[in-house]
Amino acid sequence: MDREILLKARGVSKSFGAIRVLHEVSFDVARGEVLGILGPNGAGKTTLFNMISGDMKVSGGEIQLGGTMLRGEPPFRRCQMGIGRTYQIPRPYSGMTTFENLLVAAAFGGGRSEKRSYAFCAEVLRDCELIDKANASAGALTLLDRKRLELARALASDPKLLLLDEIAGGLTDDESKALVALVRRIRDRGVTIVWIEHVLHALLAVADRLMVLNFGEKIAEGLPAEVIALPEVRRVYMGIEG
Amino acid sequence: MTMTAIPYADTEAPDVLVERQSRSGRVAMTLAVLGLIGLAVMPWWASTGTIRSVLELCCYIAVAQMWNLLAGYAGLVSVGQQAFMGAAGYALFVLAQTYGINPFVAIFLSLLVPAVLAVPIYFLLHRLDGPYFSIGTWVVAEVFRLTASNMPIVNSGAGMSLRVMKDFSSFERNVAMSLLCAFMLLVTLGGSYWLLRSRFGLALIAMRDNPIAAASQGVNVAKLRFLIYVAAAVGCGLAGSIYFMAQLRITPGSAFDPMWANVAIFIVMIGGIGSIEGVLIGSLIYFIADRWFGEYGATYFVVLGLMTLLVALYARTGIWGLVSKRWDAPWFPIRRKLVHRKL
Repeated sequence: MDREILLKARGVSKSFGAIRVLHEVSFDVARGEVLGILGPNGAGKTTLFNMISGDMKVSGGEIQLGGTMLRGEPPFRRCQMGIGRTYQIPRPYSGMTTFENLLVAAAFGGGRSEKRSYAFCAEVLRDCELIDKANASAGALTLLDRKRLELARALASDPKLLLLDEIAGGLTDDESKALVALVRRIRDRGVTIVWIEHVLHALLAVADRLMVLNFGEKIAEGLPAEVIALPEVRRVYMGIEG
Repeated sequence: MTMTAIPYADTEAPDVLVERQSRSGRVAMTLAVLGLIGLAVMPWWASTGTIRSVLELCCYIAVAQMWNLLAGYAGLVSVGQQAFMGAAGYALFVLAQTYGINPFVAIFLSLLVPAVLAVPIYFLLHRLDGPYFSIGTWVVAEVFRLTASNMPIVNSGAGMSLRVMKDFSSFERNVAMSLLCAFMLLVTLGGSYWLLRSRFGLALIAMRDNPIAAASQGVNVAKLRFLIYVAAAVGCGLAGSIYFMAQLRITPGSAFDPMWANVAIFIVMIGGIGSIEGVLIGSLIYFIADRWFGEYGATYFVVLGLMTLLVALYARTGIWGLVSKRWDAPWFPIRRKLVHRKL
C-alpha cells in the first residue's frame, strides 16, 4: 500500500495482572482507509480502542498517530490530537440537548470558539440526520438516534481517525443500512475509520480491509472477502466447522 | 487545529441562530439586578437586625451554590467546605485585629488563604473516590479546627473578637455589610451563572453527565475539577469572612462548624442539585424554616433530615426539578437553542 500510514500499532499488548487481554497485535491503517475489526466477545477489541484513545495504558508495544508516538497522553489530549471515538454503550450527556452535546466536542475537542461551533455542529447534525432533534434532550433519544449522536459527537471533534465501537449493534436492518450510508459519507470526506462490529453485513459494506482478533491475538488481516473465507476465521468467528 | 478532517465549505454551512435567553430569563435577570441593588441599599430601608438576617441568608446562598458547583457539576461531594470558611474568617481576624489592616481591605486579602490552602488539599484528596473523598474533606476541616484550637496566633481555643469594628459607626458597618452581601451574591451566583453560560459551562455540564465521554471529547476533566475546587474554596472563604465579620467573634468551634455542610446539602438537595434556581429556593426554605421552627430544637432537625431523605428517595431533582419538568421557564437559562436555519 503506497498511501500514508495514519495509525501504526506495533506489538501492542495489554494484561490485567495475570490475565492477558491483548498479545502483541500489530497493524497499520492508511489515511482515508476503513479498517474493520472482527472477533468474538472478549477478543480484546474494545481494549485495543481504549489504548488508542488513551482510556487505558498499553502494557507493551507502541502506537503511532501520523508518525507521532503516543505516550501517556490522557484521553482529552488524544481527542485534540485527532482521535475521535464512540462507545459501545452510548454515553450521551443526558442533561443537554443533542445540539449542545455536539458543541462540547466541537469547542473542546475541535478547539473551535463556541460561536464558530454553531454552524459547524448544525451541519454535522444535518449530516447525521439528527437536525430535527437538535433541541431535544439527549437523554430522551431512541437507540438509533443515540448511536447517531455518539457518531455525530465524535465527528464534531474534527477527528482524523474515528474509532467506532459496535455502532450497528441492536439496530434493525433498515436502521443499520441508514448507519452504513452515514459511515460511507464520513469516509468519503476523508476521515480514516477503524470500526469494530459484529453486524457483518454492515461492516462488509464499508470496510476496505478486515482484521480478526481472537483471545487477544491477531489471527487474520486482509481484504474482506479473503479474510472471511479463511477456515480459521469461519471456525472462530462464525462457528462454522471445517 | 489547522487540519480539518471534515472540510465544510463556508457556503455550505447552514445559516444558524442560537437563542440563549428566554422571556422568563429576562424577567428573572431584571429582578435579580433589582434584588442586588435592594441589598446594596439596605441601610436605607432595613433595620440592623434585618440586615443581619439577610446577611445570614446571603451566606447560605453563597455556600450552597459553592457546594452545588462542587457536587452538582464536578462530582466532588465535599462535607468540609467549612474548613475554608473558617480559614478565611480567621485570616480576616488576624489581619484586621492583630496586624491592624483595615478590615474591609483584610476581607479581600483573607481570600488568599483558602485559595492557597485549597491547592495542596486538592492534591491530597483528589485521588480518593466518592465517599472516601467526602470523608477526607471532613477530616481536613476537623484538622483545621484542631489546629486553630492550638495556635497561639489565633488565641487558641478561646477564639478572637473583632474589636476594631468599634472604630466604625453602626451605620457605616451596615453600609459595609449590605455592600458585601450584594458583592457576595454577585460573585457566587453571578459568577456561577456567567461560568455556566460560557464555553466552560458546556464542559461543566458534560462532565457532570458523563465524565468519561467528556474526556474523550477533549474536556480536561481533571483540570476543571481542580479549578472548581479552588473556586469553591474561595467562594466559601468569602462567605466565611463576611459571616464572621458580622458576628464580630470567631472560635474554632464556630469557624469550622460542620453545620455549614449540613445546611448546604439540605439547601441543594431540597432546592434541586445542578441549578442556581434550586439554590435560591432551597436557601429561602431553609432560612424560613430556621426562623419559624428553630425553637423546636432536635425535633426540627429530625424534620429537616426527613425532608432531605424523602427528596433524595422520591424527587432526586428537588423542587426546581419538579418545577422545570412542568414549566419550561428557567430563571437563569443556560441552554443553547438552535432556532433558525436555512437548509
